[in-house]
Amino acid sequence: MSGFLSYLLQRILGLFVTVLAVAVTIFLMVRLLPGDPARVIAGVLATEQDVARIRVQLGLDQPMIVQAGIFLRDLFQGDLGVSARTSAPVLAEIGARLPATLTLAAAGMLMAIAIGVPLGAWAAARAGSLGDVVVSTLVLFGISMPVYWLGLMLIILFAINLRWLPAAGADGFASLILPAVTLAAFSVAFIARITRSSMLEVLRQDYVRTAHAKGVDRRTVEWRHALRNALPPVVTVIGLQFGQLLGGAILTETVFGWPGLGRLLVDSIFARDYPMVQGLVIVFAAMFAFVNLLVDLTYERIDPRVRYG
Amino acid sequence: MTALRVIPWLFTIALLLGSAVGQETFRIAIGVDPDTLDPQQSTTTTVDNIMDYVVEGLVTIDANGRTQPALATSWTTSDDGLTLDVELRQGVTFHDGTPFTSAEVVWTFERLLDPDVRNPRRGPIAAIESVEATGEHAVRFNLSEPAPYLVGALSMTTNVILPPSIVDVEGNSYENITHLVGTGPYRFVERALGENVVVERFDGYWGEMPYYEQVVFQVVPEATTRQSLVLAGQVDLAILPPTSDIPALEANPRTEVVLGPSNRTIFIAINNDDPALDDPRVRQALNYAVDKEAIIQGILFGAAEPMDAPMADSLFGYEEVGMYPYDPERARELLAEAGIEEGELELDFMAPTGRYVQDFPAAQAIANFLREVGIDTQVRTMDWPTYVGTMLEPPESNTTQLHLLGWAPSYMDSAQQMEQFQSGQHPPNGLATSFYENPEVDALIDEAARELDPDRRASLYGEAGRQIWEDAPWIFLWVQSFPMVHSAEVTNIGGFPNEKFDAIYARPAD
Repeated sequence: MSGFLSYLLQRILGLFVTVLAVAVTIFLMVRLLPGDPARVIAGVLATEQDVARIRVQLGLDQPMIVQAGIFLRDLFQGDLGVSARTSAPVLAEIGARLPATLTLAAAGMLMAIAIGVPLGAWAAARAGSLGDVVVSTLVLFGISMPVYWLGLMLIILFAINLRWLPAAGADGFASLILPAVTLAAFSVAFIARITRSSMLEVLRQDYVRTAHAKGVDRRTVEWRHALRNALPPVVTVIGLQFGQLLGGAILTETVFGWPGLGRLLVDSIFARDYPMVQGLVIVFAAMFAFVNLLVDLTYERIDPRVRYG
Repeated sequence: MTALRVIPWLFTIALLLGSAVGQETFRIAIGVDPDTLDPQQSTTTTVDNIMDYVVEGLVTIDANGRTQPALATSWTTSDDGLTLDVELRQGVTFHDGTPFTSAEVVWTFERLLDPDVRNPRRGPIAAIESVEATGEHAVRFNLSEPAPYLVGALSMTTNVILPPSIVDVEGNSYENITHLVGTGPYRFVERALGENVVVERFDGYWGEMPYYEQVVFQVVPEATTRQSLVLAGQVDLAILPPTSDIPALEANPRTEVVLGPSNRTIFIAINNDDPALDDPRVRQALNYAVDKEAIIQGILFGAAEPMDAPMADSLFGYEEVGMYPYDPERARELLAEAGIEEGELELDFMAPTGRYVQDFPAAQAIANFLREVGIDTQVRTMDWPTYVGTMLEPPESNTTQLHLLGWAPSYMDSAQQMEQFQSGQHPPNGLATSFYENPEVDALIDEAARELDPDRRASLYGEAGRQIWEDAPWIFLWVQSFPMVHSAEVTNIGGFPNEKFDAIYARPAD
């Protein structure tokens, strides 16, 4: 167990180093963007005096190295600064919208797992059959369909024609359905595909043949023996998909007017709101790193050969 | 019986019937998530539009763009133009119960002029040196120079009157306001970041009562989704539906399209400093070469009017000059006169994407028209902050040749429009990105900025306008409309000529 603890500590330390590296990178990257943020924020009717004042407020009058020092010092104190665009603390703005993005990402992910894994396993067990072909076609469809287009099609069908669901907004469970389905579509397809190929691999193994030979019921062989052993690569993909999902959330949130972080990121980039862009990217990176840590820890549960420490 | 005498009777009858005000909620889909709810810090028309439900200025504009009294009842400018005396409306109360008096006006303007509080639109009121109370309901503005445009500028949402007590409201500070308190027909209730803003009818309002009890502004960035919300009956009004869907929405019996007027002129700034473009005949040729009407019909789906003067017709000082007709033959002749052979002139043309109605598609069509008269034109686009950075490069490093731009004065006066043609406003001092210079025009504009007689001032702008038109520093394109779509079940929705929707007095259609 102490071996596991030291492993965990190592991983958490690694997580911090990763996020710090991302923070430094994004700090430099936003400053490489063309356009004077003070002028963009001040707008066309500002006096020169106001533009200069905003420049001082943002610390842009300081040399880059000083700016970087202040940024890192504040970061270690958990202070992401004040948004240049909204005059509100970056953490407060992110905190207000984070639950919406997490809700959407979690709903999308759960839906993707709940549909993708059984679908892929089912298709693998019937490889080459009509059912398998249908599933593979659907998967191809799901992977190649642009999020924007699917979202708008769902709105036309379920909001305008059938009038069952809200077209946009965040007013209760009903308004979560369309964005979550849109967001899940790509991941369902991807997870199903990985599950299917991983499962096919396992189904060719000797122990599966042995199990069949021993007369174990087909269903038990497929779902209890084979699927469990086919899961590790699927879990890896799910972890990576979470990053995809956060990216997809930006588009989905825009289509459905969902009050999450995605739209905030887009608005902040266009406004050259350095503190907000930095804060958002750091938060996204931390979430992604954390989910991947969780994935690695899950391996131990599903694959007895993996032992940490 | 005069019309005025009838009004109280109509009100009484309406009250007896119980139909003057309703209990319903009116929903509006907007495209932007407000970056601030502090009038002084706002730079976005839609955000101003929301705040206009809650706050009021000393003056406002009517549907034609003319200045009308609001919290001020009358105003007089001294003969030297250096003092502006304003009489204030009596019997007005703020939403927190504070009575509206000169003290609130003085406080508001001190905050507006305080260099320690951000005010991105301080320029138009920079001539105010001080504000003093001359009575319980009278204030005097002392000016550093005559500013005949100032009363018009007071209609900007930036300059609305707030009570000093606003800084005590939770979440507010002197430097930043998030919970708005004003004198308007609606009071601020709540805001959910990225989601919506909710306002409720203020029963103590001094003016005409609106019908709807509650108004919800829902943030929906995607134009197609905004339109879908109206089609699904989930919002009553959506601003800026997809331009290409306007004909379908007009044909749909369940929806009505309003092409709101606007004062935004869309034009192509020609770099007048560029050796290839410093001959006025070349610039006139560019104007003759482009078929504006065809682009408006084919690409903007009718959502614009061709420019016929260097400013929109809703501005004070507008005087029609007459558009450059589509005449490719004349364009070729002018190019030949200027000594340019077919295919000799190559131009680089920048246009933004998604900033103005159909901006990039229109730019591609314009480039085609230019190619037809033998000018090899390449169009490119970039994101907005980069675009602004490129066009604002100082003359020595500025490499633009043609760039498409929209310009909407924040108050309905030619003064701000004319900055585009002043040599003192060339980057980096200002935003006159065509680097146009004509001493005669400079003199006319300077004189107009000091002229106190409105008729004389208007004619100075008219004269400047004719000269500018002749010099053709721009390819004059169109004044764009501000499209909105609303459910056919609601009525009394229009637009102000500054790209704001006018829906405070919306009501059910029957």
